[in-house]
Amino acid sequence: MDEEKRLTRKKNILLSVVSVVILCILLFPLYWALITSLKTEQEIFRNPPTFYPHVLNSKSYAAQVETGDFNMFRSFANSFLISVGATVIAVLLAVPASYGIAKYHFKGRKIMLLSFLVTQMLPVSVLLTPMFIMFKNMHVYNTWVAAVLADATIGIPFSVLILKNYFSSIPKDLEEAAYLDGCNKFTAFIRILIPIAKPGVMVCAIFSFLYAWGDLAYGMTFILDQEKRPITAGIFNFMGQYGTKWSYLTAFAVVTIIPVALIFIFMQKYIVSGMTSGAVKG
Amino acid sequence: MKKIKKMFRYENVGILFVFPAFLYMLVFVGYPIIRNIILSFQDVGAGNLVRGTKNFIMFDNYLELFKDSVFKTSLSNTLKYTILCLIFQFMIGFLLALCFNQRFTLAKPIRGILLVPWMIPVTVTALMFKLLFATDIGVINFILRSLDLINKNIEWLTTPGTAMFALICANVWIGIPFNMILISTGLTTIPKELYESASIDGANKVQTFFNITLPLLKPTIESVLILGFIYTFKVYDLVYVMTSGGPVNSTHMLSTYSYKLSFEMFKYSKGSAVANVLLAILLVVGISYIKVTTSGEEE
Amino acid sequence: MKRKKIIALFAVLAMTASLVAGCGSSGNTGDSAASVDEGTTAGEEASVNEGSEEEPAPETESSGDAEAVTIWYYWETEGHQVALDQVIQEYNASQGNYEVTAKYVPFADFKKQLSIGASADELPDIAILDSPDHASYVEMGIFEDITGKFDVGNYYEGTVNSCTVDGKLYGVPFGVNCLALYYNEDMLSEAGCEVPTTWDELMATAKALTTDSVTGLALCSVQNEEGTFNFVPWLWSTGATSYDINNENGIRALSFIQSLINEGVMSKECINWTQGDVMNQFIAGNVAMMENGPWQIPTMQSEAPDLNWKVTLIPKDTDYSSVLGGENYAVINGGNVEGALDFLTYATSEEKVKFMMDKFGYISADKTIAENQFEADSPYQPFVEELNYAMPRGPLAEWPSVSDAISLAFNQVITGTATPEDAAAQAQATIDGIVK
Repeated sequence: MDEEKRLTRKKNILLSVVSVVILCILLFPLYWALITSLKTEQEIFRNPPTFYPHVLNSKSYAAQVETGDFNMFRSFANSFLISVGATVIAVLLAVPASYGIAKYHFKGRKIMLLSFLVTQMLPVSVLLTPMFIMFKNMHVYNTWVAAVLADATIGIPFSVLILKNYFSSIPKDLEEAAYLDGCNKFTAFIRILIPIAKPGVMVCAIFSFLYAWGDLAYGMTFILDQEKRPITAGIFNFMGQYGTKWSYLTAFAVVTIIPVALIFIFMQKYIVSGMTSGAVKG
Repeated sequence: MKKIKKMFRYENVGILFVFPAFLYMLVFVGYPIIRNIILSFQDVGAGNLVRGTKNFIMFDNYLELFKDSVFKTSLSNTLKYTILCLIFQFMIGFLLALCFNQRFTLAKPIRGILLVPWMIPVTVTALMFKLLFATDIGVINFILRSLDLINKNIEWLTTPGTAMFALICANVWIGIPFNMILISTGLTTIPKELYESASIDGANKVQTFFNITLPLLKPTIESVLILGFIYTFKVYDLVYVMTSGGPVNSTHMLSTYSYKLSFEMFKYSKGSAVANVLLAILLVVGISYIKVTTSGEEE
Repeated sequence: MKRKKIIALFAVLAMTASLVAGCGSSGNTGDSAASVDEGTTAGEEASVNEGSEEEPAPETESSGDAEAVTIWYYWETEGHQVALDQVIQEYNASQGNYEVTAKYVPFADFKKQLSIGASADELPDIAILDSPDHASYVEMGIFEDITGKFDVGNYYEGTVNSCTVDGKLYGVPFGVNCLALYYNEDMLSEAGCEVPTTWDELMATAKALTTDSVTGLALCSVQNEEGTFNFVPWLWSTGATSYDINNENGIRALSFIQSLINEGVMSKECINWTQGDVMNQFIAGNVAMMENGPWQIPTMQSEAPDLNWKVTLIPKDTDYSSVLGGENYAVINGGNVEGALDFLTYATSEEKVKFMMDKFGYISADKTIAENQFEADSPYQPFVEELNYAMPRGPLAEWPSVSDAISLAFNQVITGTATPEDAAAQAQATIDGIVK
């Protein structure tokens, strides 16, 4: 297979160079945020702008660790806890749901699928007040739990839509073999299907995590205490507090990106396959 | 007992699997939808939010919207923004997919790294683009000046037309990887033999693209565009952080206008009506998505 | 905390599981869905009617049986937060009945949090809020009528009016401020300019001060309440009012701001600058004159101790004019009213007011305190003089909508999207629809 498609050496080099150029252009905003966070405020306002920090300034990072209310590490830890919680709920609920939709053609299946899709479409202005009222009645307002429960509502529908394709791509024979071995519907699901769909489950976990990590509105509205708020709310506060103090703002932005970058490096394979199966029939 | 057994008939077992997730969403999202619909037919403002009677005024809020110039701007902005974003991110994504589907050495690692923009919290992306598009310290103005394309700094975020352009740029940046990777995978599903027989028949590259690639990619393209539409149409964080709907309401979207009415001007019912218009449009798109992805399935 | 979270997670899962089991026998999704909806709505109504007896406030381990009193405020300046906190600490130490805690809610979120909190009956006991919004919340019915509980006879009339509705007092002014014109003395003397007192002089001075790297004048022009705050002094100086813009006077004010932009003596970027940003530009030397408030003085003194600046009255068209700003304390009804009143009595005592006003860079709302608050050569003194010309916005329950129309009109002329005539006519049409 491979030998016939292998590119000529010249073409290989040319394409590699082109792709590196594309990479540089597309990732430039990230580079710019990084170097801005390391510049002094004077250098940021210098004209023409400098393309690397002439004076290395780590003050903007240090300042966030020192001050009490907006401690970067704490809001980082909050975001992490909230995201993990939301991921757990989303995976536990979405895995069986997507299996049900993929493998059983019960009545109202399309309606259910549509309703999962619809829940992804709601603007935040619709959700904030009623959710707030519910969380207050559940006595979880102003705790991580409120943000966890709310963030899971972003992860669940997305996971269902993706995982449904995973499950429908698994041949029926496998399940039937399990029944012959004495499994019932539920044990077959747990022993046979979940292990096969493991990559899909990983993808759902990653996406639920990323959605929760990126959320701003829920974390801001349902958690009042600064020290419990997620890191995105911290950025938003900084924008109010420091206005155009770009070194501080970008330092905070860089710290927010780091876990995303880590997830990406370790989970690249899953993410690619996840994005793919979400929209293309499995 | 008999009844329960009937419940466990093969196809209906599926409901049991779906039910927990469905219930969860129903509680946390279903209730807000119903509440929002009711609210949009009432006259709730600062005066009767907590106490006092809430009168049903039926369609008055909706009728009022069609006289409201900001609503009209928001509606056309949302459509304009969504369509322009889709066109650009789709075309650039398509080109990149074609490029990275060639088997050169760096193809796979670089295609992977290019996904990063899609994974960054939108708040951060908005912040970065605000910095890039700043008038005096913005690097975009600097590059344009250096290339002699402009001689005076453009006030990107403070001029109505260019502010919309900046928003579209930021969103296209987020959307390119999404489009690229989906189309890229779609391309790999096209059997190689088709291309080979085409080249034997003497078809050139352009003919192959239009006669083989595009028709076979149709399901992928439909999915990409519809999902992209949904995610772009309800844009909120990006606009809120970059322009807050300004300058002079020129970048208000349905989502940001609904938020402003509900939480800054105390016009709760009118805000709900705006949100419902947004929801109705997306519902139509959502139904077509379900049709596309489940067509051909035996029911 | 962590354990609590995990327990709650399990509770939710258990709940879902039990509902799944229940579904097996009834087999009707519609039924249980309806009951869930009813449950939540009923809960909402019940809690609204009952008022909040149970205060799910944070556990205060420090002082055994003290009742909790919570405060929401939006000051983002660190000095303000520290000063408020100090008064609270002293209060908590001075008595054992109440334990006060204050929570910062960002200004951009403050209105949203209060309105959602009102719907959900989850509010603090005291809110420290922007004075022009006061009337809206009174109409919402969340503030306690505290007529007769505080002696506001000596307070500036405008500030008392901002928390009075139908002759009843719904709040206590925290402190006042107003806007005035800051100028960079070195730049002025270098350009050989006098301090401007009229619009014509201001225009000439701004032109003389504008160079490649410096713009003559800056004022916060954001399209929200903060922008309106900065625009109305110019509007009122012509004799126009907040509700009557579409006339020769209103148009003249809009035209003047537009000409500042067209002449290049004010940057269009102002529509993205908060008052804090404007101050940063001023102390960075990018702006020679700015319209701003006294609360910036402590920051300016600490961040730019060498900068040579002074404050003067905002130049006038017909009359000197400024706008009254500041916050009011409001007591939330249904909350811990006793505790709130007790703290407010403490916080509005002369000693505490003086302490906070100094730290905040505010002027006391109490005239007797204000008159002796500053030395004759204090940079705050011009603000005390400016207060004589300062008028309040509103009070009006629909002020947010009026304010939106005003700031939109000014933003339209600044960005050149409408002529002053059209902007004035459009704003008037909106305002006439609100104020009949």
